[in-house]
Amino acid sequence: MIKLRRGIIDGIRAAKHRSDLYYYLQKAVELEHSTIPPYLTALFSLMPGYNDDIQKLIHSIVVQEMLHMTIDGNILIAIGGQPQINSPDFIPQYPGPLPMSIGGKDFIVGIEAFSKPLVLDTFMVIEEPEHPIPVKTLAVAAEEPEFATIGEFYDAVKKKIVELGNSIFTVGPDKQVLSWFPPNRLFPIVDCASAIRGIDIIVVEGEGTSSDPFQTPGNPAHYYKFGEIYYGRKIVRTPTGYAYGGDPIPFDPNGVYPMKPNPKLGDFKPGSQAYTRLAEFSFAYSSLLNALHTAFNGKPDNINVAIGLMYELKMLAVSLMQTPANDGTNRTAGPSYVYVDAKPT
Amino acid sequence: MSYLDSPRLIFSGFFQADVSTINNDVTSFNNATFSDLFQQLNFDGSWNPEGTGIFRLVNCRITGAQLGGAQITENGRDQVIGMALENADDHVFGKLVDLDPQQQSCSEIWGMGLRLTDSAGSTVFSGDYVTAAFINLWRRQQQDTAPNDQELAAVYQSVLNRVQWSGTPSSAALKALQRASEDGELSINMNLYAYGRDPGIPRYTLGRVAGVIGPYRSGEPKHFVLGRQMVAAQGNGLSAVNGVFTFQAKVDAGRKALTADFGNSLQIVNADGAFVDVGPLAMAVLKTRTDGVLTSVAAGQVAVLGQVAYRQPNWYQQTAGIQEFDYSADSWCVANIETYPLLLLGQQNGGNYNVLIQESLGGLYVRADSFVYRLEPNESKTVELYTTQYGKPISAAITFAPNNAMIGNAAPANVEPPDVATPADGVSYASALTTDGNGRAALNLTAGVMSPARPRGYIEGQVYAVGYQLAQQPAQTIMNMWNFISVLVFSPSDVPAQPTWYRNIQPILQQYANLYPIMSKHLVKLGDYDSVVEHLNILKLAFSLPIGDPNHMPVTRDLSASNRAMIMKWMSSPGHDGLPLKGEPATAAVPPPPMATQPTVQLVLEPIQQRGKTAFVLGLAARAKAKERS
Repeated sequence: MIKLRRGIIDGIRAAKHRSDLYYYLQKAVELEHSTIPPYLTALFSLMPGYNDDIQKLIHSIVVQEMLHMTIDGNILIAIGGQPQINSPDFIPQYPGPLPMSIGGKDFIVGIEAFSKPLVLDTFMVIEEPEHPIPVKTLAVAAEEPEFATIGEFYDAVKKKIVELGNSIFTVGPDKQVLSWFPPNRLFPIVDCASAIRGIDIIVVEGEGTSSDPFQTPGNPAHYYKFGEIYYGRKIVRTPTGYAYGGDPIPFDPNGVYPMKPNPKLGDFKPGSQAYTRLAEFSFAYSSLLNALHTAFNGKPDNINVAIGLMYELKMLAVSLMQTPANDGTNRTAGPSYVYVDAKPT
Repeated sequence: MSYLDSPRLIFSGFFQADVSTINNDVTSFNNATFSDLFQQLNFDGSWNPEGTGIFRLVNCRITGAQLGGAQITENGRDQVIGMALENADDHVFGKLVDLDPQQQSCSEIWGMGLRLTDSAGSTVFSGDYVTAAFINLWRRQQQDTAPNDQELAAVYQSVLNRVQWSGTPSSAALKALQRASEDGELSINMNLYAYGRDPGIPRYTLGRVAGVIGPYRSGEPKHFVLGRQMVAAQGNGLSAVNGVFTFQAKVDAGRKALTADFGNSLQIVNADGAFVDVGPLAMAVLKTRTDGVLTSVAAGQVAVLGQVAYRQPNWYQQTAGIQEFDYSADSWCVANIETYPLLLLGQQNGGNYNVLIQESLGGLYVRADSFVYRLEPNESKTVELYTTQYGKPISAAITFAPNNAMIGNAAPANVEPPDVATPADGVSYASALTTDGNGRAALNLTAGVMSPARPRGYIEGQVYAVGYQLAQQPAQTIMNMWNFISVLVFSPSDVPAQPTWYRNIQPILQQYANLYPIMSKHLVKLGDYDSVVEHLNILKLAFSLPIGDPNHMPVTRDLSASNRAMIMKWMSSPGHDGLPLKGEPATAAVPPPPMATQPTVQLVLEPIQQRGKTAFVLGLAARAKAKERS
């Protein structure tokens, strides 16, 4: 189960003023973002024409992580905060721990091509619910009491918001990012009720509910989607509960670009194709964070510019994954998610 | 004011032009004969089928500066030296766009933003690159360093607008440049060369750039310098007859200095960029006037301004080939340089100099500032033209006529590409104009409603080339072969009341899917209804952005307004199932055959050469000859 330091929860509970929540909501934005690079890389590493079902599943998860990041950002904006997105600190160091040391210092998340072990050992750990529903063939990890869960984290945020009351919502929808998702899932955060509705979307889409692995009928929560990918079958209800026993979700390992894990600029010879394209990718990724920062700091329409950058990033990632790493293996280069540029003064 | 004025910054480094190559062959636009094979690397010389279209600067740094007559090359003298010229970091990269497969010799940079950044990575100034096409394409590189090297080089001159400074810089050169750019604009010139096309080399899709940024004042031409024009005769395969290519220069009478730009005019040995040593080169003024092309002059006939320093180490990197010649000590020059022709002299032969290139005869010159246009049916656009004599505006008559010598190829030798510039009334314009006292005239280009609507059949629209020249000019005048106006006229079409996928939309989007697999394989399968519908919102956004937006779709800027309106209408008009109308298969109209085609030709090309600008030019020449014979 994904866990974070109990002290984080204590900190939320001790908040006296809306500004005391800024830090935690900023961390929530960072947390939701932190899963996107590893998921996207795994998605991009699947060649077109192969593993379509897996591609669709991962894509649906990544898009929801983007929604969750947006909701967290809007809540932070609504209570007067300013999401800080374009800085080196915004991004975890891959491979490395997630924000707030989620999963513990020893839980390391990297940038790798798709593989089943990656799904089981990393993605399913990230997404494991507070109370996983037993699914046949799946073991449940024991909870360690000194750690809190993501569910508890969001639960504490919700309780604190209710305690502080509607008066903490001071910044209106015109400063919030509200496009690209349907209005029933991305809506203005204007009071406790809307904030809580937003957080519930994050939790349910990520974890499901404590009694149902599906976020909506036929649409499993992230943890169970990754389970489907790992076990190679759709999750279905059985007379005794749930099982990965539905339609097959085949995996063809030939349809994965052989990407070198955790590529870094320093791994490649300056001036080589891999180096040049990797630098280009990191630059474009940094440009994306700049565009998002602008969108979340007063110019929500700039999200359209960010969307253009997201599409460009995919093209650049795919180009990288077709560029030989020239490291004596048959592996290819891949993306590196670092913030490469200082901001204008 | 231009990049040839002071102050100026010199930058040097690389560029990436990640162009897609399937569309280099016009027959690839024929959906009926398209094969997935065409999307494979190296098929028929397609050396980058999954190109993204991105154009960007790579590792460019300020390597020189010029301030008040002084050349600065060391950071210790001015902090600007070593600063990086970077791409914009808040939107996507710029894109490199051909006007049309049958006019690939004026590729434009769209949507590029540039920033100067200091050693901490902070932006000093930023600006948007005004869309510009390259000009003065020639065979500058004499030997391949890698297989399939692009030996042709060219130059981009444009303006950065919306220039924003982050405070007042401490560098003296930058302070002076900031003062000189009070209109929010700067002049920028980029010489591009040594472009690599072999997928196996580090330089794949990269080339070298030597560039200059200087002051710009609004109201002046953006894409050439209102100055002295040295025009080279061109030989076979875009070589320069005397090994030195067309360049421009400017006299500053106040400072008594001539500034000449050799940045795109001297041959290089190979992709490393070292100059071919052609012996001493000297700038000079001819002391008599002539209406003839000179091959040599006696030493006594010229005032030599100075040697071109191209053989000095690091000269090109630190100057981008721009050199000043101080003539203040020569009283004849002081009195006469503005009314007598400039020459570039080569080796001396027993008291005579070889003349390698000379100023346009009589000092007379005409130039269209922008020279690439897209026109919707019935649309008019204005071309700004300038006439000068010895760099000074004069009132003169200009004549206009079709000049199709450099457009129309882009097909394998054994097929018959559609003919261009037909029907003749696709674009109309005055046959003559006279510039005003400021040497300026505006030519209206007006598109017709072409009949047939698709004169080229499987590819929409038609390309035209409008030649221009001075009505009165010496008979021996050497024209710059690139001085013509390229026009893409879009095909007329009606937006149907209820466009459907099969009948109207798929034929258009399938063509893009065929030609640009980086998009169709990895982002949206444009030929597939389900994929398009799944990405409807992003497509609506991309198709609705203005042409100058870096995210404008299609990247190739070759979709007519009526087709765009039809696609937007289709996307926004759901049927009963809430989705855009699918219609019935096989209901699309079959494109007509081209109304005219060009002959097949014999061309001896390496397989890998078949989709490059050299092939384009050689094919043009061969087809022109074949036409003459027939």
